[in-house]
Amino acid sequence: MSPAPALRTTRRGFLSLAATGTALAALARLPMACVPSANGREAAFFTEREREILTRLVERMVETGAPEAPAVRETRAIPVIEGICAGLDPEISGVLPTLLRLVEWGPLLFDFTFTRFSRMSDAEGDTSLRAWMTSRLGFRRRAFYALRNLAFLGYYSQEATWPLIGYRGPILVREEAPA
Amino acid sequence: MSIDLRQLEADLRETTDVCVIGSGGGGAVAAAEIAAGGRSVVVLEQGPHWTSEDMNEREEDMLPRLLEEAGMRQTVDGSVIILQGRNVGGSTVHNLCYCFRAPEPILRLWRREFGLGSLTSEALAPSFERVERNLKVKPILEREINELNRVFRAGAEKLGYSGLVAKHNRENCVQSGFCILGCAFDAKMSMLVTYVPRAEATGARIYASARAERIETRDGRVARVRGHAVDEAGRPGRRFEIEAKVVVLAAGAIASPDLLLRSGIANSSGLVGENLHLHPQVMLAGVFEEPLHFYRGIPQSYYVDEFIDLERDPRAGYILMPVSGFPALTAANLPGFGRDHFRFMKSFDRLAGLLALVHDQGAGSVRPGASFGSPEIRYSFVEGDRRQLTEGLVRCAEVLFAGGARRVVVPYWVDPLVLEPGDDLGVIEERGVREGEIAISAAHPQSTCAMGSDPAKSVVNEFGESHDVPGLFVADMSVFPTSLGAPPQITTAALADRTAHHILERWPDLAV
Repeated sequence: MSPAPALRTTRRGFLSLAATGTALAALARLPMACVPSANGREAAFFTEREREILTRLVERMVETGAPEAPAVRETRAIPVIEGICAGLDPEISGVLPTLLRLVEWGPLLFDFTFTRFSRMSDAEGDTSLRAWMTSRLGFRRRAFYALRNLAFLGYYSQEATWPLIGYRGPILVREEAPA
Repeated sequence: MSIDLRQLEADLRETTDVCVIGSGGGGAVAAAEIAAGGRSVVVLEQGPHWTSEDMNEREEDMLPRLLEEAGMRQTVDGSVIILQGRNVGGSTVHNLCYCFRAPEPILRLWRREFGLGSLTSEALAPSFERVERNLKVKPILEREINELNRVFRAGAEKLGYSGLVAKHNRENCVQSGFCILGCAFDAKMSMLVTYVPRAEATGARIYASARAERIETRDGRVARVRGHAVDEAGRPGRRFEIEAKVVVLAAGAIASPDLLLRSGIANSSGLVGENLHLHPQVMLAGVFEEPLHFYRGIPQSYYVDEFIDLERDPRAGYILMPVSGFPALTAANLPGFGRDHFRFMKSFDRLAGLLALVHDQGAGSVRPGASFGSPEIRYSFVEGDRRQLTEGLVRCAEVLFAGGARRVVVPYWVDPLVLEPGDDLGVIEERGVREGEIAISAAHPQSTCAMGSDPAKSVVNEFGESHDVPGLFVADMSVFPTSLGAPPQITTAALADRTAHHILERWPDLAV
């Protein structure tokens, strides 16, 4: 099977996104996108603040309701996502930090709700994400699926998640990374 | 000899007879045949040279290694995901090995409407035979058909649909099922383990992580290729410059026109980058009572050809094929998020995927984007293609139920359909297939540097040579004048073989 839509805006859409992101970043007094490192798949790609937003977002994306499901923070899902982002063409990945800020401030910007995404309850967070998923704005829907698919790739690459879905994993024995 | 140009300590300048850009199903064949014919060859591949040692069957590692944009390349409007390789061996490293010759009705159409009189089955036979021999193409054995393909076949046969077990390019396959993540056992006879080593053995220099960025001409003839060594994210390092008497462009139907347009050559027709066909496909999933482990075994061995009759209509039709997946790829194709999504994911080991692949009439375009790694790809569906995709979904659902599925999930992004045996499948027809409402993907972009006899209506001639620039050839899927209507691996390789032998035969003229 192939992945579902990731982020790609039209040039106009990108400019609109970037402009909105710039305004929101100023509002949040957050540093703008960091430049990805070329070093391997575990490179730090997001700032601490962005990483926290990302973690909260991944938690909602992969919520299973199953008590045996591993918590996102107990897995390496976030480092895996950062590593993948660091390995992408900066033209493509460079928009992701801005996008996370848009998710964070989306409730205010799009829904007139005065709570940041990362401070919302589970139910409120899901409502906010659903608004992205069903938005009439194409760039919001594409952004949603870009983040959703990164979340799935990060989480379901974790061996601890495989028993939940009956996946037996690779046939090859994976070599342990050097300490 | 294979060298990763990221190791360069100084800029590189070289001279060769032939410079081949791209090392996939077209480029590797052209390089090996030309090198075997005694000409010096340099191959430029923008991706790294991974080997089976690197294939670890992990999605998080292999998708970024093997696929453009980590498998998330898509059209500008986000409606179609396009899977393309970016490594030595190209898409043949991640493809699923279906081997079909170009259908005769398609060749007839190309002869009749595009003036390609020499493209007959008989004339192409030596190239097809050579390619099939080198790729060890043979039918899948009954004992090699996995559970996914068995339920698919059982359902199709119960409904009386025409289908057959395909030929594949495999040798000593261990049936691990991880084909799309690269074969860790060197059993997939991809270019990586066939034509690339053959090219190296006959003296070709394979330069990996080498992105061609401009093709230059001198006195109207092709003369030089310039570019940069690049890391995995496409960031440039050392420069290279390859002087060549002949350039064979085989970077695929997205990158080849992109490079020609950036170079500002070979486009007097205005058709470079136009006429993009995709073989778009939609898929759905059946949920079975017992685990199928659909990710184990040869993923695609059986297919249904009941709904394509190229003799009757060479411009329409669709085929049904099985589709497997690993956790993240499967998750990405299922709708929703959170608990709504997990209700489908928890059936992962009981899923069977089917897809309908359409011989498309819709067309699109490729334009250079903001960077080499992000071309602007546009595609417009025609109503007939949407109708066929919809009908294909209905047929897939029928086959899955006939094969024993307890539920079928039609993965519309919002309000997916979950159907049970006996439900009216007309609900699928009512919803239809519209861009942005359901996953549409494509693995066969083609036709963006179309072949033809009329320089005003095509980009290259019947041997792949540019109408405008002597010595510049195109040898990948971009030369197909129309959608091929069948998995394109073998036809791409055979046409590249033909182009290579044409270059060798004409060498005294081309070496001016």
